[in-house]
Amino acid sequence: MYLTRQLRQLPRSRLTRHIASGNGPHYTTAAPQPAAEHIEIPKRIERSPTDLLQALASTVGRDATAPHYKYHDDPFLIPMSNITKRTYALSKEAGRKAANWIKEEHRELFMHQEAQPPIEKFAPSMVFTEESEVDASSLQLLVSQGELKDAVLVYNLLVQKGIEVSDALKQSLLELVCFYNNEEPLPEEYIEERWFMQNSRRRERHGKTWKDGELAEKLYAAIEPKTPQSYAALIRGMAKYLQCERAYALLQEANEKRIQLDTNTYNAIIQIVSFIKDTAEQRWQMCTSLLNQMAEQQLKPNLGTLNAVLECISTFGNFKLARSSALKVLPEFKQLGIVPSLGSYYYLLIIFCRERAPVSHVIIDILNDINGKEFKVEHPKDTYFFATAMDVCRNHLHDKALAKRVDELLHTGNNYDLIGDSFKEGIYYRNYLALLCQTESIEDFMRTYDILVPNIYIPEPGIMEEILRAIEINGAVEHVPRIWSDMVIFDHTHRESLLLYVLRIMVDNRPNPELPAQQQLPEQCANVAWDMYNKIEESAKRIKKVSFTGQMLGDILTLLVRGNSSFDKATQVFTYIDKQQHRIPGTPADSALFEYVEASILNKAPSQALMALQYAVENNMETTPLAKRIYEGFTLSEVHLAKLKSLVGEGFLTK
Amino acid sequence: MATNLVRLLESSIRSNNAGVASRTLRVFSSQQQQSEQSVEDDEEFRVLNLRTVKQQARKRVIKKEVAPPPRTTHMPVDQDWTAVWSGPRSFHPASVPLPLRQGYTERGAAAPSKYANAELMKIPNFLHLTPPAIRQQCEAIKKFCTPWPKGLESEATWKAIFPVEVVTTDYCHSLPTIRHPEARRVTITLKLTDLKFDAHAKDKFLRLVGDRYNQETGVLTFVADRCPTRKQNYDYALYLLTACYHESFITEPWEDSKSEADMEVYLFERNKAKVSAEAILNWNATGEKQAPSATYADSVEKLINEGENEYNIAKYKEEVLKMLKIAI
Repeated sequence: MYLTRQLRQLPRSRLTRHIASGNGPHYTTAAPQPAAEHIEIPKRIERSPTDLLQALASTVGRDATAPHYKYHDDPFLIPMSNITKRTYALSKEAGRKAANWIKEEHRELFMHQEAQPPIEKFAPSMVFTEESEVDASSLQLLVSQGELKDAVLVYNLLVQKGIEVSDALKQSLLELVCFYNNEEPLPEEYIEERWFMQNSRRRERHGKTWKDGELAEKLYAAIEPKTPQSYAALIRGMAKYLQCERAYALLQEANEKRIQLDTNTYNAIIQIVSFIKDTAEQRWQMCTSLLNQMAEQQLKPNLGTLNAVLECISTFGNFKLARSSALKVLPEFKQLGIVPSLGSYYYLLIIFCRERAPVSHVIIDILNDINGKEFKVEHPKDTYFFATAMDVCRNHLHDKALAKRVDELLHTGNNYDLIGDSFKEGIYYRNYLALLCQTESIEDFMRTYDILVPNIYIPEPGIMEEILRAIEINGAVEHVPRIWSDMVIFDHTHRESLLLYVLRIMVDNRPNPELPAQQQLPEQCANVAWDMYNKIEESAKRIKKVSFTGQMLGDILTLLVRGNSSFDKATQVFTYIDKQQHRIPGTPADSALFEYVEASILNKAPSQALMALQYAVENNMETTPLAKRIYEGFTLSEVHLAKLKSLVGEGFLTK
Repeated sequence: MATNLVRLLESSIRSNNAGVASRTLRVFSSQQQQSEQSVEDDEEFRVLNLRTVKQQARKRVIKKEVAPPPRTTHMPVDQDWTAVWSGPRSFHPASVPLPLRQGYTERGAAAPSKYANAELMKIPNFLHLTPPAIRQQCEAIKKFCTPWPKGLESEATWKAIFPVEVVTTDYCHSLPTIRHPEARRVTITLKLTDLKFDAHAKDKFLRLVGDRYNQETGVLTFVADRCPTRKQNYDYALYLLTACYHESFITEPWEDSKSEADMEVYLFERNKAKVSAEAILNWNATGEKQAPSATYADSVEKLINEGENEYNIAKYKEEVLKMLKIAI
């Protein structure tokens, strides 16, 4: 740009800029003589350094077959379960942490700065010890960088040495300490750790964690005279870490001293009303009185106030009061011109859609309101909306169309940033898939399944069972091989209920060889059964053991028999049944044995058929049809005939 | 039967690894097996175990994870390839659904397939620069482009209106520094014919710019790289151009003292030949004086500046005959 400006100042010359085919930008200066007509050179379109990159990035769509880009795109390294997803991502980050550790540990090796402009993060951080030479400016720097531990250390040093610290600096340190409760926060660059953090760890709302009588309060005491800002910082810190009684007391003290507080401090107190008062009526009363105080002090409420009030209302046990007060609050804030964020809608959902309450369709109104809008994070609770909305769609209303609308909203613009963390994403997709497999046709459902599984979401065994149920209801046996291979990869094969379910679906829905789509199915089913048989046998050595039952083996036998080329395998399975009959609880179904005998007739294997008959006799099963079938199907040799007679007696032929 | 029994026992003992039972074995075993047993005993004598050493934990059998099939198997045929291969990366057989083959084999055999094929990974691929991808990216960055100004459609017009060209180079490289020493270089070019001179100024200008002027193409080039930043170099190059141009119009006093001996070329105007020709033409003439024709002057200059050759001499002869009005 500066070139253009420079050239404008040159007499008798005008400048334009164009991209030439050469290796750089060309600028040409105009000689005014031949320019008979006026030539308008358009102004350059201003753009930020990343605008071009963002424009290019917007052309890249999501590839459903690929894993998230943080993983290696290689079959051996693509995570295939929720645990491996977590492990791979966190180990990658652990590498980054290790590098950071080396950088700090061997600081003497990293003192050089080759980068131009210098990269602060690549240089080892400053180390402050008891002996360091410090002054107020270094404290200022540390506070502005948010280095809590070092800032506290430097402050203590300054106090020891008797160096004066200005009140403004003390105030900013107080704010830092109150915000983090004097605990080192998780560094910002560890995205994966944040994403996979255990839900229990992030749930702070258990009890008081505020550190009484520690640095924050000492700092507060050191600031004289007390300013509104120092009151605000301490009250907000106490409210955040649930030192509720003292926070409220401090608020009252400030009010008595006629100290003007700000809106966010009131918001913090409104948020903890539920910890101060016990019953819904008292809470609501306190809430309104706080709001009245704000009005008296002429404080304008903001989004935080709305969300704090809604949070307070959402803790009411009294359902009717909660509803009516929420409906009272909303129009008032609307009049004030406050646009609710996703967090406000989240509170509305948990206020209106409760388990033991009448069904509410508030989500429809919410969706009508925010359809197609793009959101930015404005409140900590904004990330709770999507998971809760999907939960309401599934468990409260059971409405497929609504779920699709929520999903559409999630994929509008950058709204996916507000999904929260892996835990909430998991809940969201669990509810979504469970709802779809109950309500959609199996073909449509499988289309969604193909997009989501396994790279975005991996179904838990419970959801897998729901999916299998949907397949059973629809009799869509052609999807079973696909689901089975997924189950193997997701390691669901040690769940007996799932195995039985898969077998039952395949046995009950005999594939129709006339349909072209199902011609391959008997083979595939036989493969699945054989695979399952091997898996169960293998699992005997493991801790998570699955044991055979007669029913299960009978189903496997049936499926192997139905496959055209797997009679040998069927024989192997039957031999196993025969040999281990005292260990296996239950017996195969009669039909399984009958199909096996049929197949042995087809394969001309009379001894196998007689073995089946012998097994049936020994286990007290129905034998007459079997014996009849064997007698009619084979031309038996003397030996076989004698055995047949010894098993069922001579009389059966005459019956 | 007895040996059978012994073998059975032996196997059970070995599997149990019980020292006590080995004595009972000897009772039953034949001579030969006894000797075998004694050899085994000799080989591994027992060690006095003062401190009880913990038995090594059994090696855990590492469960092999099942690797999924390559993802090319479930790619739909109408997929968006730009989403699959969005940027430059080395080839991966499980992500590219093409039956590629590359590499040397014996004559007649097919080239190695894409799996575990280092040849395919070595060469740079342009799978991210498919025509649709380029089209999409062009569409996306179009909003940052301004339209081409009206009236500048042909190269001739814009070269005529904007004769000065400024060339700079931006470098994109993977070093810790974003600065490149060559990026500060600024080159300014223009045609000499676009500047207006008189004869003296032109001569002086060309002397000033020296070899920055290319006689064959008539292009003037200023390269500036002596200052640390591009802006400074650009300013400096323009200053050079401006200063040289204006300096060339100034005639210093010492320039008048240029004598005939200092001249680089023969000029008809300031030489004896002109005086002689005028004397011949105006012999005995009164009134208006005649001047030798321009073509004659030209031929004399050529004859002396370029040297005597057949053409120049012939031309000179012709001019002389014409001037003296001699008919042959």
